[in-house]
Amino acid sequence: MTTALRDVARDTAARLRAAEPLNATLHWAPELLDAEADRAERLEAGASLRGMPIAVKDNIVTVEQPTTCGSRILTGYTSPYNATVIDRLRAAGALIACKTNLDEFAMGSSTEHSAYGRVKHPLDPARVPGGSSGGSGALVAAGVVPAALGSETGGSVRQPASFCGVVGVKPTYGRVSRYGLVAFGSSLDCISVFGATVDTASRVLRAIAGIDPRDATSVDRPPMEPLRMPESLTGMTIGLPREYFPGDLHPGVKAGCDRAIARLRDLGATLVDVSLPHSRYAVPTYYIIAPAEAAANLARYDGARYGNRQGDGDVRALYRATRGLGFGPEVRRRILIGTYSLSAGYADAYYNRAQAARMRIVQDFHAAFDSGIDLLFTPTAPSPAFKAGEKTDDPVAMYLADIFVCPASLAGIPAMSQPLGRTEGLPVGGQLIAPAFEESRMLATAALLERHLDAAAEVR
Amino acid sequence: MKVTAEEVRRVAELAELAVEDADLPALTAQMDRIVEFVAQLQELGSLDAAGVFVAGPAESPLREDEPKPGGLARPPAAIAPEFVDGFFVVPRLGAMEEG
Repeated sequence: MTTALRDVARDTAARLRAAEPLNATLHWAPELLDAEADRAERLEAGASLRGMPIAVKDNIVTVEQPTTCGSRILTGYTSPYNATVIDRLRAAGALIACKTNLDEFAMGSSTEHSAYGRVKHPLDPARVPGGSSGGSGALVAAGVVPAALGSETGGSVRQPASFCGVVGVKPTYGRVSRYGLVAFGSSLDCISVFGATVDTASRVLRAIAGIDPRDATSVDRPPMEPLRMPESLTGMTIGLPREYFPGDLHPGVKAGCDRAIARLRDLGATLVDVSLPHSRYAVPTYYIIAPAEAAANLARYDGARYGNRQGDGDVRALYRATRGLGFGPEVRRRILIGTYSLSAGYADAYYNRAQAARMRIVQDFHAAFDSGIDLLFTPTAPSPAFKAGEKTDDPVAMYLADIFVCPASLAGIPAMSQPLGRTEGLPVGGQLIAPAFEESRMLATAALLERHLDAAAEVR
Repeated sequence: MKVTAEEVRRVAELAELAVEDADLPALTAQMDRIVEFVAQLQELGSLDAAGVFVAGPAESPLREDEPKPGGLARPPAAIAPEFVDGFFVVPRLGAMEEG
């Protein structure tokens, strides 16, 4: 059988094969791509993503391919149902290209914590692509696929998008169904999108957004509008939160932001100084709340309900052996921290305090947007992609790579990263943050900025 | 505040996680570093009036409590080690009270 979409499938397979040195994929097969092409071929010609190959992070479940979450504990697991986003991508005509490598259970900022080895940065194999959705980001950056799905709990799409030089969009919490996303931090988790361009990411997000009766946290909102590029940004007020531009910001990141800010001003936007004083507490707040939720969510991997059963004897020995052998070091650390912060005698000092701090962080955003600010602009990450192994010995240093992306995750509001330029050859990303459900405003602004910025140029 | 090896061992038991003795010193040091880092939230002073942020819709939508087919692509017997007479067979869960 030869059709136009079979050709797309064959070309995608060739690119996936050529990209194997990146270690960005955990599963793909040419015959599955052919089947995807045949399925899409039967749809009407106007389907919004018809023929677009899309990579999917391996914590989103699929019937035809295994789902490992980058963990030994799920080796050999294949879901008996598809995530809602898989059904929606297929209904829009997309081809599910592959499952992508990730930090185990999406816990990490470099995609070095996968049981299946680290993902390499497409521009420099000695560096990390960011994480935890590093496989998806690397494949889009390498031109293997135009778009990919990732997931965010505390910035796991925006940060790798910044490192890899692609677009990464986290929607409002509740905008996209999480049915079939393996749970990590339930009050934070969002399926999110990588795109080679703002327009591509926007089209994919539109296709997967919408209420789902199978996810009680999904929200009933009117469908997202197609991206409409404004003529200018006249009348738009963009806030620059001073806490996100510290004195020790990497000079290349600062230069990229300065150039983008000048361009936003040229396009007619009014740039104003603003303060989000509690954002500096976002990382410690996140590293109490997310591990606490993870400790609860990962209790199901015990060898009886899920997970490769290990050990024998009594049931506790089975649980402990299954979990002790099945989880890697970062997941174990987070389960222990989460259990610690929830345990008797510590819950008030840690978990309950973090919940209150989260409220303060949210209130700062509300105050900024209520004061007439339409969007916020910040750097996405404090530095370009770092070297593999550079932060693996110090978990806190690794956590701080997410210092600018964590706050919007805690607040449940939309945010995105887009490429601003390069410093010494490495991409630098800038972040736009919007009020809840204002993705269209954010994406339109990003699209105009993208048109007026040479993101491949060195910035100084 | 110092996290001790004994606390790590106790938390590991609560979390049903086997931790090798050889791994305990490094794990204790890392836990201590993380706990010291998150302790900066103490700087925030009283947070009693802050309230608690609830992600997602203000009210959980409810639907009629009617059984609906799960829509599984494979039957239960194909997704578990043992499935007999309509039941998943799991290890005996009898000894949870001890240690």
